Amino acid sequence: MSSNAIITLTDVNKTYPGIVPLHVLKGINLEINRGELVSIMGASGSGKSTLLNILGILDNYDTGEYILNGTLIKNLSENRAAELRNRLIGFVFQSFNLITYKNAVENVALPLFYQGVSRKKRNMLAMEQLERMGLADRAHHLPGELSGGQKQRVAIARSLITKPSIILADEPTGALDSQTSKEVMQVFRDLNSDAGMTIIIVTHDPGVGAKTNRVIRISDGLIMPDENV
Amino acid sequence: MFDLAREIGQSLSNNKLRTTLTGLSVAWGIFMLIILLSMSNGVTNSFKQHVMAQGSNYINIFPGNTSKAYKGLKEGRYIDLQDGDIATVESQNGNFTKQASSTMRGSAVTISSSKDYISTGYEGVYPDELTKRGIPLTHGRFINQLDLDQKRKVVVLTEQNASILFGSPEEAIGKNVTLKDLSFVVIGVINPRFGQETYIPFTTAKALNGNDPSINVLAVELKNVKTEEDGTQAENEIKGTLSRIHNFAPDDDGAVWIWNRFKQQLQMSMGMNILEYAVWIIGLFTMLSGIIGVSNIMFVSVKERTHEIGIRRAIGAKPRSILVQIITESVAITGIFGYIGVFLGVIIMEAINSLMGETEFLTDARVDISIAIKVTIVLIIAGCLAGLFPALKALKVKPVEALRDE
Repeated sequence: MSSNAIITLTDVNKTYPGIVPLHVLKGINLEINRGELVSIMGASGSGKSTLLNILGILDNYDTGEYILNGTLIKNLSENRAAELRNRLIGFVFQSFNLITYKNAVENVALPLFYQGVSRKKRNMLAMEQLERMGLADRAHHLPGELSGGQKQRVAIARSLITKPSIILADEPTGALDSQTSKEVMQVFRDLNSDAGMTIIIVTHDPGVGAKTNRVIRISDGLIMPDENV
Repeated sequence: MFDLAREIGQSLSNNKLRTTLTGLSVAWGIFMLIILLSMSNGVTNSFKQHVMAQGSNYINIFPGNTSKAYKGLKEGRYIDLQDGDIATVESQNGNFTKQASSTMRGSAVTISSSKDYISTGYEGVYPDELTKRGIPLTHGRFINQLDLDQKRKVVVLTEQNASILFGSPEEAIGKNVTLKDLSFVVIGVINPRFGQETYIPFTTAKALNGNDPSINVLAVELKNVKTEEDGTQAENEIKGTLSRIHNFAPDDDGAVWIWNRFKQQLQMSMGMNILEYAVWIIGLFTMLSGIIGVSNIMFVSVKERTHEIGIRRAIGAKPRSILVQIITESVAITGIFGYIGVFLGVIIMEAINSLMGETEFLTDARVDISIAIKVTIVLIIAGCLAGLFPALKALKVKPVEALRDE
């Protein structure tokens, strides 16, 4: 285990209960280092969504160990899980998942509300992130008044505001056209090269995978041998 | 604190129509509660003022006919109550009897002053008649024990009659009038709500009418009575005394007619209490329907916001935070709109009070401060409950699933 590893998964298994139990993850072993720009690719049913949820502390696993930034993520209470999500992880979703009745600044600031940061301070920090994304002029627009690419950039700004250890993106370009997709991927690349952010993108689009530095393939609940791009 | 308020304000105004409609159902419930309570208070206050102002610790006994044979005497015998019975009851039933008295009605006579005359009936009474009937005395004094003992020729007139005879009530005091060819002194003026009764001492009335010892009512003012059982016991003991004096069976229901005002009063009091409870219960159920409306809406609202709640939890909202947010929204609706209901209820009742003034059936129809406090507490608890269950249900959904919603 490298000391530069920010994520370590050791023999992680998960089975969905049911009349026919579904053994989705069959012993995942994975290491991701600080500052990597990584994509996780797999077909439908490969277990990549489940892996993403576990990495994002949105779901729990049955056996094995998941260590994130030195913290063991196992059997966490809902309270602790929420706290770690807030501090350690920044999410970017395919469907943006912004709150429709809040404007851009308020959306970006929301994670800090749950940290108890005062309104003035968090709005100021939110504006900083929006400027970084080049969206300062759209700060008070509602999501309904923004284009897809703009919404995704707001979501990325939101994901950065708590200075998380990792950014987790689930098909971030899935709802965008090819030109906007390129722009958004460039944002990720810049974040990685300039700010050294560790970024993990789950995708099935090889074009997206090509823009990352490492492709992790998952198939049938297991990690395939690595390919470096 | 302000942050939470802002958050809730934004959330509630996101769907203004729904918030308003929900709030209105709460406001309506509280409004009805206030109106009901005020009206009930109005009725109760009026009752206390008019009916219970009159002396209530009384038993009135009237002569009757025996309904069964007793000690060799046939049934159908008239029981002739006598003024001597008054003193006998007072001495033999001293434990329950504060004072016994009687009245005697006299037929129409002419009462004249130098100025004018009136034709009126009169009543010979004991001094306790004043408090017994709750008669307001406005000038001079009422009949007293000395008047009774000395069979004085004194008279108490109503304000209206005094004005006819002397120009004004003040002028009447101390002046002489002629009643049945005898000179009486006006000692007092009264202002009763109903009627134009003229009062003279009981013994004087008897003397005017040939000193017949028969009386047609024996009024007993009770003491040491609290419960209905006490009232019944007093009644039976006094009846027992009379049954010994007049030789009728103690359980003969026709020999004397008894009007137990004390018991009656107690029953009416109980009736008033029951009315108050009933009104509270109805009011609370009305309020309950409003609260159920809120809970209903909170369930719908929370269900619709499953996706939003999923987002919030994904970016770090702890379950407690979601609970607090939803419950506070619920309390805000019940609190704000509940108070609008109170406010409107109080205003409407004030308007009704000032328009109607004091009537026979409603006096001071309003609610007092303690009601406002009770209502607040109920509103807060209700709001918490209305939000709690939907919130708990929302938290059962895992964030992953919540995000997939819509």
